[in-house]
Amino acid sequence: MIPDELSVFLESGLSIVVATRDGELQPNGAVAWALSVHDDRAHVSVFLHPDAAKEMLENLGSYPQIALDLDLPTSHRACQLKGLFVSARKARAPERAEVERQLEAFSADLAAIGIPRALTAGWSSWPCTVLKVRVTDLFEQTPGPGAGDRLP
Amino acid sequence: MIPLESLTSCFQGIIPAWICTCSKEGIPNAAIISCIDYVDTRHVALSFQFFNKTKRNILENPKAMLRLIHPDTMQAYRLLLRFVRTETDGALFESMFRRIEAIASYSGLKGIFKLLGADVYEVLSVELIAYDAGVPASAGVSVPPAPLDAAVPFTMKALQELSACIHQAPTLDCLLDSILESLERIFGFRYSMILLASDRPDRLELIASRGYQQGGIGSEVGFGEGIIGMVAETHKPIRISGMLRQMLYAYAVAQRAKESGLCPEDRRIPLPGLAHPESQLGIPLLVRDELIGVLCIEGDATYRFHEEDRTYLEVLGGYLAIAIQNALLRERAEEDEPIPPRPHSGRRTKPKTAKTEQSPLDIEFFVSDECILARGEYLVRGLPAKILWKILREQAEGTCEFTNRRLRLDKGLELPVLKDNLESRLILLRRRLEERCPDIRIVQSGRGRFRLELGCEVNLIERP
Repeated sequence: MIPDELSVFLESGLSIVVATRDGELQPNGAVAWALSVHDDRAHVSVFLHPDAAKEMLENLGSYPQIALDLDLPTSHRACQLKGLFVSARKARAPERAEVERQLEAFSADLAAIGIPRALTAGWSSWPCTVLKVRVTDLFEQTPGPGAGDRLP
Repeated sequence: MIPLESLTSCFQGIIPAWICTCSKEGIPNAAIISCIDYVDTRHVALSFQFFNKTKRNILENPKAMLRLIHPDTMQAYRLLLRFVRTETDGALFESMFRRIEAIASYSGLKGIFKLLGADVYEVLSVELIAYDAGVPASAGVSVPPAPLDAAVPFTMKALQELSACIHQAPTLDCLLDSILESLERIFGFRYSMILLASDRPDRLELIASRGYQQGGIGSEVGFGEGIIGMVAETHKPIRISGMLRQMLYAYAVAQRAKESGLCPEDRRIPLPGLAHPESQLGIPLLVRDELIGVLCIEGDATYRFHEEDRTYLEVLGGYLAIAIQNALLRERAEEDEPIPPRPHSGRRTKPKTAKTEQSPLDIEFFVSDECILARGEYLVRGLPAKILWKILREQAEGTCEFTNRRLRLDKGLELPVLKDNLESRLILLRRRLEERCPDIRIVQSGRGRFRLELGCEVNLIERP
């Protein structure tokens, strides 16, 4: 479901926002550090700070709808994944290198738009909690005409 | 609740913010926000530029969550919001509109990347996100200081100091340099320029600049183009911080617009001044609602102007405008009086070399375009070009001394009866020659008097 080129983009080190909502339709959101696309191209794993994941799980336990906004700051290329929460687990040690690689790439991109690395050095990227999401829809999110269109 | 007014630095657009919304069917959505404004202690406004999912959601369900980042600490804040209304006119809308239009014109997107409304939200709560802090708590990590943050010092003392410098300037020429020099010395603004109304309608010309490698004297900006043109068009100050990020956002829109066939031509205009400014501040120079010109301040770092600084800037702009207009009127009234020698300014062009003195200089005047080329390169156009052509021709016939009064009476120059701006045109011409053609010099010899000096042989060529 997730095409090859998009899969590479999603794992390239991006600004990742996770959005959920409660029973009163109050939305809540948190940042995630990394994302990996599963081999079946229908699921993704999202890596969050445990406290951020805890907040999201308070909603996801009852309301599994989830949105993921992914954006590259230097180009503002962006897309939105909609899906349903499947499960949560602690991140495993072999996954740490990939989380740190993506966060490093994201920090480098922020530095290119003038946000010094000293300001992002405090991000606590490990340990992580992993949310498994079944992707149901993909949307173009790059600002401008066509934003919001469904991706093929 | 954390006071909203303590987060004003978060509203400068330096670090992207994002918003989460939810449809009535319960599908959440997240999006990066282009522009957020602090409205008052209980409200914020978000730009509405496209009818996107965020907009559709808040019309169905007014609840939203906004995440802001403090640009000095990267500390994140969670704001719970409730959508209240969309404003399509008024001060809030106009202020947001001007900033977005300025960015849009730089990107060739005027009319496409435009503000449709300012969406006003009530802030229900503000909370620090403890786990979402960028700057490490450990000692020894150097966080870059926020340049000029606390300290764009619009204090009475600073304004008094600036006022004293302005009062001491004996001529318009000195006044323009004195304003820019004072802005750097007192306020720390290293890059600045003053553009005055041109003899062509709806255009401004750069007459004085400071801090740039190329002075750019004579550069033109059309009304509505970029931050300077928008200030001229709207008569209101505009400040843009985090400009690189906002330009990237606009370029992303431009790319999509081109792909959609909405913006087929590359209509980007070059930024005057710094190649990649991080901040720009434009201040209209107004006297009784008449635009005298625009003061533009740029930074290669991000300025943090506070909301209340806008008031100071508008007052300052009015004061500078009156000072410039008074200098113009005084010079006209006191023509033919000797003036004190002009203090030497570091930005002056070095005298020509012996080699350039020896080579003849071709000056071509294109009558239909009212444009002069020197050695085949564009020099000046409009009224300054006609003045230069006239005095070069008269000099060839033996006249070396000129007066503003005589120029004013010359019907061939077609000066308007009122507000001919002759003095500012002459300053522009003299400075333009210093920058681009130092073999021709205009030397002021008294109030309303000047002398033409040539450093080499000049060939005058008139073209149709």
